[in-house]
Amino acid sequence: MKATLSALLVLAAVLVQTAVLNRLPLPWGIAPDLVLLTVVAIALWSTPAAAAVTGFAAGLAVDVLPPADHEIGRTALLLCLAGYLLASIRDADMRWGLGPYLAAAATALGVPAAFLLIGLVLGDTRAALPAALWPVLGGAALTLLVSPAVLGPLVPLVRRFSGDTRTDMPAPWITAKGWGR
Amino acid sequence: MRRDGSRSRLVVGILAAVSLVLVVLDSREGANPVTSAARNAGEVAFRPVSAGVSVAGAPFSSAYATLTTAHGARERIDALEQRNDELRNRLHARQRDADRAGRLRDLLQLAGMGGYEIVPAQAVTRVTARGFSDTVTLDVGRDDGVRPDMTVVNGDGLVGRVVQAGPSTATVMLVTDPASAVGARLEDSQEIGVAEGASAGIGDGKPLRFELMSADARMKAGQRLVTLGSHQGAPFVPGVPIGTVTAVDDAPGRLTRTGKAEPAVDFGSLDVVGVIVAGPQGDPRDSLLPDPPRDAPGSEDTEDAPDEQPPETPGNGGNGEQDPDGGGSGDASAEAADGADQEGGR
Repeated sequence: MKATLSALLVLAAVLVQTAVLNRLPLPWGIAPDLVLLTVVAIALWSTPAAAAVTGFAAGLAVDVLPPADHEIGRTALLLCLAGYLLASIRDADMRWGLGPYLAAAATALGVPAAFLLIGLVLGDTRAALPAALWPVLGGAALTLLVSPAVLGPLVPLVRRFSGDTRTDMPAPWITAKGWGR
Repeated sequence: MRRDGSRSRLVVGILAAVSLVLVVLDSREGANPVTSAARNAGEVAFRPVSAGVSVAGAPFSSAYATLTTAHGARERIDALEQRNDELRNRLHARQRDADRAGRLRDLLQLAGMGGYEIVPAQAVTRVTARGFSDTVTLDVGRDDGVRPDMTVVNGDGLVGRVVQAGPSTATVMLVTDPASAVGARLEDSQEIGVAEGASAGIGDGKPLRFELMSADARMKAGQRLVTLGSHQGAPFVPGVPIGTVTAVDDAPGRLTRTGKAEPAVDFGSLDVVGVIVAGPQGDPRDSLLPDPPRDAPGSEDTEDAPDEQPPETPGNGGNGEQDPDGGGSGDASAEAADGADQEGGR
């Protein structure tokens, strides 16, 4: 149930992001990251393993879908790690109230920064340092700007489906292998 | 919980390793079969979604584009509208010019036929505050030689007569005015009568009322009316077309016969007119009458002044105005041929 919901949410987020948001002629060439926000909402109420799988799947989908402007696996790696880290937070306050927004802010800054770092390591010519920082900051700001519209409905939804416990495994193939509890 | 944590770490480690392998594979030079296959699959999945979004989002994206360019678009729209108005005005002016030139040419031709001296004028007002008298104001007046009781014509025929002449304007009572009565003659049968106006407003299409003087006279639809002419050409010079009989009231027991006549002039679009300020030296008779239509039998009878046959072109019309009885010398052969034709038809 939870797994289906997670899969549907990720699919919808990826499609809206790549087909709608990335198409909009937004100013300064940056767009809010819906996929990231969705992964944050799901990861906060999932086990670390499920969150990692969710982030990996979402990131891989973003990598594979056009535009092919970066290596496949880059976003997958980062969202996978982000989901794992978010799900590993023991502090219950992070899951209530303004906590998800704090988590989203940290992720929205951290993931593009790490993305830029990987680009620097791999020798991506577009990742020239002072100039490449502005898209990171601007993208994070835009993502935070739209975060209420995404986290507002998504966090309670995911929380309800997870039954307020962290025992639900989102991915059935993991449960089948006995990684559940 | 311990096992859970280690399993989670195992999962995330595997996934991170897979991601790194993919990144390294994809960042190498040349096309990698794994990553290119993945990209192809992504493209296949993406294309229908993107096309659907294109179709569904076209109005929104165009609205968004409008919004983002709205700042400059306002000025651009203003500039284009201004330019559009300018061009439209210019086009209208050109059409009006052409129209006016055509009317003046007709007028000049008509004037040249009779050898009359004509002052061209423009009808500047059509309506009055009351609205029930059919008068127009011309932009010529006493200073231009216009006096009361002068005939006003345009290229089609009789317009009316001057009832008042100010220094620079003149008031013309149209033949359609209910107070107007014009001595008229049927063009072919020569029967005389009176054409009275019956309209309540300019251009309302009410026909003239034509009453024959003689109880024995007959008329039929299609006959043309021309002015009878008056002493010294005032108020009406002879031979100007008034209209065409369209209906005959054949009421038994009446002493005279009446009918309806359609004016030759379209008063709804009255523009350039001419005031006949001086007649020719000789009597022009019916020389203002244009050639009758082919279906008007017997109208050749009225061509009783063959040496004042109208020149055919406006330029020669101008000559004829200066030289009333000469006509165009270059048209002599044409006139001869025309006369012969009439002789044969008679």
